Amino acid sequence: MAESGSINDLKKKKEFKLNNTVVLFIVLIILFAVFSYVGKPFFFSKLNLIPMLNNLSFIGIVAAVLTMVMVSGEIDFSVGGNIGLTACLTAFLIDKGMPGWLVVILALFSGLVMGAFNGMIVTVIGVNSIIATIGTMFIWRGIGYTLTNGESILAINPVIDYIGRGFIFKVIPFPIILLVITFIITYLVMNHSKWGRKIYAIGSNPIASFLSGINVKKVKFINFLICGVTASLGGLILTSLTAVGMPQHGQGLELVIVSSIILGGTALGGGRGQILGTLAGVLILSILYNFLTIMNIYYFYIQIVQGAVLILVVSTYEIRQSLAKRRI
Amino acid sequence: MALDNINRVVLKMENIIKVFPGVVALDKVSIDLKKGEVLGILGENGAGKSTLIKILAGNYIKDSGSIYIDGQLFDIKGPSEAMAAGIRVIYQELNTLNNLTVAENIFIGEQIVKTPFKIIDWKAMQKKAIDLLNILNVKLDPSAIMGDLTVSEKQIVEIAKALSKEAKILVMDEPTAALSEEEIQSLFKIIKTLKSKGVSIIYISHRLKEIFEITDRVTVLRDGKKVGTLNTKEAEPNKLVEMMVGRDIKDMYPKRVIPIGENVLEVKNLKADGVNGVSFYLRKGEILGIFGLLGSGRTSLVNALFGANKIISGEILINNKKVKIKTPSSARDVRVGLVPLDRKVEGLALIMGVKENITLSNISDLGKSFLISKTIERNRAQKWVSELGIKTPSLEQEVNSLSGGNQQKVVLAKWLESGSQIIILNEPTRGIDVGAKIEIYKLMQDLCERGSSIIMISSELPEILSIADRIIVMSKGRFTGEYLRENASEEKLLHDACI
Repeated sequence: MAESGSINDLKKKKEFKLNNTVVLFIVLIILFAVFSYVGKPFFFSKLNLIPMLNNLSFIGIVAAVLTMVMVSGEIDFSVGGNIGLTACLTAFLIDKGMPGWLVVILALFSGLVMGAFNGMIVTVIGVNSIIATIGTMFIWRGIGYTLTNGESILAINPVIDYIGRGFIFKVIPFPIILLVITFIITYLVMNHSKWGRKIYAIGSNPIASFLSGINVKKVKFINFLICGVTASLGGLILTSLTAVGMPQHGQGLELVIVSSIILGGTALGGGRGQILGTLAGVLILSILYNFLTIMNIYYFYIQIVQGAVLILVVSTYEIRQSLAKRRI
Repeated sequence: MALDNINRVVLKMENIIKVFPGVVALDKVSIDLKKGEVLGILGENGAGKSTLIKILAGNYIKDSGSIYIDGQLFDIKGPSEAMAAGIRVIYQELNTLNNLTVAENIFIGEQIVKTPFKIIDWKAMQKKAIDLLNILNVKLDPSAIMGDLTVSEKQIVEIAKALSKEAKILVMDEPTAALSEEEIQSLFKIIKTLKSKGVSIIYISHRLKEIFEITDRVTVLRDGKKVGTLNTKEAEPNKLVEMMVGRDIKDMYPKRVIPIGENVLEVKNLKADGVNGVSFYLRKGEILGIFGLLGSGRTSLVNALFGANKIISGEILINNKKVKIKTPSSARDVRVGLVPLDRKVEGLALIMGVKENITLSNISDLGKSFLISKTIERNRAQKWVSELGIKTPSLEQEVNSLSGGNQQKVVLAKWLESGSQIIILNEPTRGIDVGAKIEIYKLMQDLCERGSSIIMISSELPEILSIADRIIVMSKGRFTGEYLRENASEEKLLHDACI
């Protein structure tokens, strides 16, 4: 009797087990409610929320795609440098009088080239992606500095303006549309597509995936390509939001993005991770930053809080995991 | 008093109960271990052998029951307490530090130091390592790098490590899973030496032959319950198998007569890394066995056939058509599948579900668009789960938690799902229990009956001699013998394997 009772108890517990993504969204909603109340009336206002969403749009877009790279067991630290270089290139070309649409195409193409370069070093030569992309992170930013002589260049052009500051139906900011589209596509890819299945399989066991006939290198290479293009899209948005291209754009952003992804539950070693988790991670870090800023908290303290939150959340993952293991 | 000493019970585990979510892993299991004896624990996978050992080692906490060491009630709360009580466990998956030397591995965590600054005393460590290895009667260089050793040598180092501090009770969990016949014999010598020195040994295995060879008594577990304990001398193999499986097993190696057809595979003068020019053929419906010791090139050969080992020269013909196999995906496309040696490392995405693993090599076929059709996926996976009798609570279950036999079936299902006609199995029954083994043998023959052909690598002589239709022996990358099953014998195969 006692035994069967305990088995049923454990089964029940399993049914009620919340997954990390759901927990994150609950945390997000609670934070949002608390911030709206404490930060009355500024936090929950159009004047605050719209710019906040604009600012997190490019972070979210890059984070969604970088999640794919990370689930496959790789990482791309060069996204921040990519954003800087793309911003410089965009402003540089606009300044030279090139038409806006062509600049957009060239900017995205530059991302493709950067992604291909990362992909080549990692998959063909076999350099660890942490090292490879820290290397290219410096290279991209260095090229940005070279291109602009270290100065800021104004980037004023109707097409560029629209990317970061335009509205659809006169109310919805264009970058938000881009963000939503990116998350819908990456969600479909990761949760429902053949490509996504391959990504999870590779992250879970690259050797078994290769021995099952999956072209591991090809999948990883294309992931890097897409990541490069996406980071450049992020660079375009940031250039548009600030109306200026400068080599410091996106500095340190790679760590913010990777932090959001890890906060969202993606494992560094690959194989585990959810697009919606990343979305929650990005939103939590962004509203936290926003709230502390409008509460007039000194920037230095904000950094401390952001770092602490990351460690706190990841610690809870580890604790939950080791608890689960001990139970078994 | 001497007699009394011999029969002294050093360990007693009484009415141990352990419940996991959804399963009673141990249901009032009791064992006792005498000084200087080898107690076998026999049982299929999932019988509770490993759980029992993990409780003894302090890795799991028992739900109820009591443990006595030297007659004293002893509550094991963690690994350090188990260690302090003189319990040493050598796990199936060795925990060696491959970048360090043999001596460093032996003394890890308790290096010998010189005063006054507690600097490591390399010389003393070296010397003591040699002493320990001498006790075991093995010659191993203490300064060799662990990663360069063979599996059996690593195991010896683990034993030496276990003995470096006083070991009263040594537990060996499936120690021979990765060893060749010769290596097993040298392991047994070591066990006998230890026994004569008064160490009590718990030997876990599902290989009957070894239980008979090395143990004094044997306790059989089934489904978390103790079936009984017998003196090994008085036990009969069939009786033990019956106790273990819970039903009468008439035939360990069921072999049917299956008509053999035309050549489906022809290999001409194949050279690859580890393979020095071999030629052979495989016929429709045939099971071709490849026998060889570790390092004979058998794995290199099948990996080359599967595109995982680069082919230097030679020809491969499938159904009389020349094919180029450069990658596993090109092997899959010509309907060749590989059930690899180490299913956890090479065969399965362990943290993914049963259905994801079954469809792993055939993802592109899971729907017309770029999306995966969940219905197609479920149906396909369900089909193989019922056809191969894969025991799993659900199709979503992580394969990590399945038993070895069921994991092996999942790997096999993966290749059936992608339509493989030539299936290569590298040690198909390694680390799986008797019942599952018999099922695998039957499955292999079912496949042959349906027109597939099989290449089976095996280092288990009784298995290869009973199941393969034809046996090729390999040594140093070459073929050194070929026999039809009727003409082959253990002596002939071993002789050719050592050429």
